[in-house]
Amino acid sequence: MKTFKAVFLLAITIITFVALDKKLGMMPPLGKFLNPFKGFWQKAELQQLPDKNFEIEGLISEVEILFDDHAIPHIFAENDHDLYFAQGYVTAMHRLWQLDFQTRFAAGRLSEVVGEKALELDRYQRRLGMTYGAENMVKELEKHPKIKAMTEAYADGINAYISSLSAEDYPVEFKLLDYKPEKWTVLNTGLLLKLMSATLAGGSDEFYMSNALGKFGPEVMNDLFPNYPFREEPIIPKGTPWKFKPIEPEASTGTSFIGHTDIKTREKREGIGSNNWAVSGSRTASGFPLLANDPHLDLTLPAIWYQIQLVGPGINVNGVSIPGAPGVIIGFNQQVAWGVTNVGSDVLDWYEIKFKNNRKEEYFHEEGWRKTSKRIETIKVRGGKTLSDTVYYTHHGPVVYTQKPKNFGKASNIPAGYALRWIAHDPSVDVATFYYLNRAKNYNDYRKALTFYTAPAQNFAFASVENDIAITANGYFPLKRSGHGKFLLNGSEKQAEWQGRIPVEHNPTVLNPPRGFVSSANQPSTDRSYPYYLNWDFAGYERANRINTRLTAMQNATADSLRKLQTDNFSVLAQNVLPLMTQALKSDHLNATEQEAFNLLSKWNYTYDAQSIAASIFEIWHKDLHKKIWDEFHDPEKPMRTPSRDRTVQLLLKEPQSRWFDVVATPVKESREQLIQASFKFAIDSLSRKFGLLGKKWQWGFVKNTHIPHLAKIPGFGSGLLFTGGSKTSVNALAESNGPSWRMVVDLGRTPKAYGIFPGGQSGNPGSVFYDDMISSWTEGQLDELLFLRSKEEKNPRIKGRLTLSKK
Amino acid sequence: MLFLLIAFSCLLFQFFLPWWIIGPLAFGFSFWKAYSGRNAFQSAFYAVALLWAVIALIHTLENENILANRVGQLFMLPAWNFNWVIMLMVTALIGGLAAGVAALAGYYCRLAFTKR
Repeated sequence: MKTFKAVFLLAITIITFVALDKKLGMMPPLGKFLNPFKGFWQKAELQQLPDKNFEIEGLISEVEILFDDHAIPHIFAENDHDLYFAQGYVTAMHRLWQLDFQTRFAAGRLSEVVGEKALELDRYQRRLGMTYGAENMVKELEKHPKIKAMTEAYADGINAYISSLSAEDYPVEFKLLDYKPEKWTVLNTGLLLKLMSATLAGGSDEFYMSNALGKFGPEVMNDLFPNYPFREEPIIPKGTPWKFKPIEPEASTGTSFIGHTDIKTREKREGIGSNNWAVSGSRTASGFPLLANDPHLDLTLPAIWYQIQLVGPGINVNGVSIPGAPGVIIGFNQQVAWGVTNVGSDVLDWYEIKFKNNRKEEYFHEEGWRKTSKRIETIKVRGGKTLSDTVYYTHHGPVVYTQKPKNFGKASNIPAGYALRWIAHDPSVDVATFYYLNRAKNYNDYRKALTFYTAPAQNFAFASVENDIAITANGYFPLKRSGHGKFLLNGSEKQAEWQGRIPVEHNPTVLNPPRGFVSSANQPSTDRSYPYYLNWDFAGYERANRINTRLTAMQNATADSLRKLQTDNFSVLAQNVLPLMTQALKSDHLNATEQEAFNLLSKWNYTYDAQSIAASIFEIWHKDLHKKIWDEFHDPEKPMRTPSRDRTVQLLLKEPQSRWFDVVATPVKESREQLIQASFKFAIDSLSRKFGLLGKKWQWGFVKNTHIPHLAKIPGFGSGLLFTGGSKTSVNALAESNGPSWRMVVDLGRTPKAYGIFPGGQSGNPGSVFYDDMISSWTEGQLDELLFLRSKEEKNPRIKGRLTLSKK
Repeated sequence: MLFLLIAFSCLLFQFFLPWWIIGPLAFGFSFWKAYSGRNAFQSAFYAVALLWAVIALIHTLENENILANRVGQLFMLPAWNFNWVIMLMVTALIGGLAAGVAALAGYYCRLAFTKR
């Protein structure tokens, strides 16, 4: 009996300890995780910035890092190597887990840490050729020794930090998921940049465009999906002359549209966009230019951006960096400032591949059979299994799926049997653009820096203390015929292929336009006089229109006037269509709630303020109206893209008798007015169901429900509800979890003064006060002054911490 | 006595060894010193629970409980400012139970495998 008891208890003990040391499903290894000596409690850090000296291997000389009151590092180094080394070091210090997770995500290596549930996602990332693209970037670096050295120094800095850690120091997410950080490589920097391309230039509509073409034919498609919008407000002002002789794409006998595919698709989302503008000294109070930028992205904690100031020989730059890439991406120095927004150019196309046989070694091309090359992807899954997956590469690019995975949403917009031609696979040295912009002194330096840039194409707004302002839609733009790549393409036709690129000096650009400002908000780059085709589909003109209207009216502009414009909630869309929509309600019988809603809408100033109830009603109303108008495009068997918002507004205002107002499912023929009325009732009903009686709960801030989730959606690590205004058609393009990821205003002058804020904080540690300390100012639409130090000796009361790195 | 032995040895060893060292320590010391099952379990439980609670408390107080309050939500607690107290108790409980079971096993192993 005694023996039995002893053995039994021993077994219980062993089971207990093994269970507490192992990750079980979503549950972290409890013993390890809760143990206060090494577990999560260790990351409950002292709320104080460092003041210390640290000896480190790999430095050439000493580096001084000063931290300000938001824990923003200001790095002073004596050479480029040490500067980027230190940038890597502090980025890792604050954002180590984010660096690891994002590159794992990009490379398709999440299964290694979270197990089988990420397997399909990993396959997808690999089959898209993310690592293939990153490898091409690394190869290209061989031709640019200075940039290569920059990325290597950055990697060494990250690794120096990692090797200074012991297990208890690892960020809390490593402890939760129970794994260790690994060495950083230059390839990881490449992966991160490819991730930006995937986010900003990775969407595609070709499949559902082809489906719609199959159903409605070319005439309807040309009418509903024109190559140029109804309302226009191009980035390069109309009438700007083109100072080059265009080259022609090779003559062709027409494009090879393919209709009738049976692919399930996902709508391309709006909200990945941005605003920027620069105002000439002639319109500002100081007589020097002002520049503003707010890139809109999916918001996460830890924050997307990392603020930093880099000071060294020939460089003193301040702004935001992307954790994982050296240099400053958006920022300013003593002489210049710049900011970026996305160009919606078409740099991704799908080519149908006809394989010779099942072995997929050869495929048909009009010039003869061509050979595929195989790339074997090896995926390690946590818990033992290792899988391999073969991807066939054609001269276009990888055949992403030969057979589609079941129940995997992300892949639903990818046609099986098609090869992906995507700019993100091409060799590039995008980092070089930022290396040179960071050191730019004038307009010519800016133009030179842009020549290195490939993707994702951006509108680079620029201002200099010499009173130049400029904007350039910049990147690698394939040379295409009008409408080329609007639909799926035939992979065996030579003429369906890209025919080189638009020469970089022909990219749309303007310097010091007469109107005294430049601006962009993802709308079409140019008017129809531009001799090249970039895309048929850009963001709507509404934000651009509001920005331009307000800038035109602005005299003696200051940094604060630009801040107010960044947080402007006015909706040009509401202004354009609401009068017509409310007019249609007048002939209808309304119940008490509907009448009250109608009264609110009649008085509404078209502004999506957080307290506005009318904004909530209009938002749901116009969205449902869009859906009802384009009911013909709803087919679960063969999903299609619906016409744009711009085309819908045109239809509402100019084509009251259009056949599209009819709802096909009903025997009667609906009119425009009936549709508007039905959508209004739907909006009131759905708000009543979700938020009760018309009242405070209906306010836009609650309905919109803005919040910032954690990068891996870990509960408790995100923000709560942020009661904010803004909408996708407002300059303040703040939606549920998507919007201004960084707001910056720079006031150039003898000493530049700049202001900025992002929704988050410098630290990636959820246990730090610096994890989310900037969220409240951001929510209120305030900016912080960016501390711009001239030398490390400068005494400034905002400096709260210091870290001196010296060589070992 | 047993309580102090386990508490101090766990304090010392955990600075450089993984958390599971509390198992062998609780087992070993109660194999050697415990005079009853209750004595073994209680001493080890209180020793490690108290040790873990105190160390965790030191960390969380200087952190103003920010992290513990967030981690609480991960364990399905609501978004309020007292999660850290619950996390502290859970931590003490898990550490204490693990050590307690090991100590109990230690005591009964001595009974079974040694002659006195």
